[in-house]
Amino acid sequence: MATSKLKTDRPTYASDFIPSDVERAVFLGNPVLDNMMTSLIALGAEVWSNRRRMKVVEALLAEKGVTAEMIETYMPTAEQDAEWQKDRDRFIDLTYSPLLREGDLPVSAAFTRENK
Amino acid sequence: MLDRRSLFAATAAVGSFVGAAFGSRKANAATHTSVNLTPKGDVEPRGSKNRLERLPALDLESKYDFVTGFRSWHNKSNRVVSQRVEKILEEKGLDPKAKYSMEKVLPLIEDDHLVGTSGRTWISNQQVTWKILQDYFHEHADEYIAEMEAADNDGPGTLELNPDMEIPKYTKHEIHIQPGGYVGDEFAGHVYHYGTNSFYVGAIGDNEQDQIHIGTANRLPLPEDGVVKRILVQGCGTGQMTSALKERFPDAEVWGIDVGGPMVRYAHMRARNLGLDVNFAQRLAEDTKFPDGYFDIVTSYIINHELPQDSNRAVIAEAHRVTRPGGYYYPVDFRSGGADGRAYGQYRRWWDHRWNTEVWSREYHTLDFDGEIEKAGFTMNRETKAALPGFGARHAVKKA
Repeated sequence: MATSKLKTDRPTYASDFIPSDVERAVFLGNPVLDNMMTSLIALGAEVWSNRRRMKVVEALLAEKGVTAEMIETYMPTAEQDAEWQKDRDRFIDLTYSPLLREGDLPVSAAFTRENK
Repeated sequence: MLDRRSLFAATAAVGSFVGAAFGSRKANAATHTSVNLTPKGDVEPRGSKNRLERLPALDLESKYDFVTGFRSWHNKSNRVVSQRVEKILEEKGLDPKAKYSMEKVLPLIEDDHLVGTSGRTWISNQQVTWKILQDYFHEHADEYIAEMEAADNDGPGTLELNPDMEIPKYTKHEIHIQPGGYVGDEFAGHVYHYGTNSFYVGAIGDNEQDQIHIGTANRLPLPEDGVVKRILVQGCGTGQMTSALKERFPDAEVWGIDVGGPMVRYAHMRARNLGLDVNFAQRLAEDTKFPDGYFDIVTSYIINHELPQDSNRAVIAEAHRVTRPGGYYYPVDFRSGGADGRAYGQYRRWWDHRWNTEVWSREYHTLDFDGEIEKAGFTMNRETKAALPGFGARHAVKKA
């Protein structure tokens, strides 16, 4: 059993729970590879967060009188949302499609060359 | 920036839109129009996108947008992995289109790099999804606990919490690897609500405005005599289905019960903020505490596959006890059954059980769920279509 990591004196109505063992999972034969995948996805979220914020800024700069509050509370239009999601999907495709690569040559693989 | 009044006007407009999409809900839109208040203690720093309070920080919203997009991309990439699995089977001299048990499939593909990468990236994305949400609410715990405290004893609607209730172990797992599960984290409701919205995208559709729940609630049949005075939702979670039913049946006494204190607390706060007079209570689906025959409709939304078989039987028996003669029980959940199938499908089902901590899903899929409902004394109406398209149709009538 485990308990929430949040420490507070206020009543929370949370109980103890049974933690999963997913943190111990190794799907790629080497925990370093598994950890890199998680880092890569977290990095993607961070990068996308910056890019999306920039889009907000750019959208607002097209208008006039930009304030921090305006940036924080900017509500994208449906068209902008659709356009941004398209760009997001392109970004994801660029970053993660290599994971589907089916490489099969070891370092010692023979080097086949042709000169004509 | 929209002010509060404009935001709620927008909510009413969306109510009308959803009504048009899912059936006659004109009167329900009027319910929303009357919501033009700022509930005490409400924390909503970036306003609402119609029914959904926007995530409270732009960076959090953007990270959430990313993991949602990644999930959709991953769903599409499954085709590539499925083809890879078929290729492996062919290489081993097996028919790639034949049906296999998971036990047969697993040793053949578990070490493949593409299968491993697919599983790893999916689970990593799931972990990042939960972490960004939980971290934010934990970092701002004081204000969000205060928000719930302000709502606890405020209406419309009521909230019953039972902190001394004995919580069954089977409910204490971290379903979907959500940190703390449904009972063990103070913000289980907040985290579940936003997290699961991303589940719907790329699977069965956008649910930010509760469209899936509203559509499901509106497609539930009426009892044969048309009388709907009381409705119960067993295992109501964050109350989206419960609230949708109150909107469809505004004059009914509607109850949502769930084992998770933080879940019903969030459900009550959200229904109250939507201006809905719904009753939420921390109680067990198999021990509802209601009198015999109290409800015209007893329903649930995708809880049965989270239950061990004996608990499912107990939940069905309790539903039968509290349904009135002539009323019905309609648990919304996946179609059950099928211990074999196409190789990758079987593997995915097992993998979801093992690594996404769908603890009891394999028990569910080996249970004759419809048969258990009939054994409890209900008569299944086989003519009724599924309230949630693609899921099981279980319109179980209690004889008058």
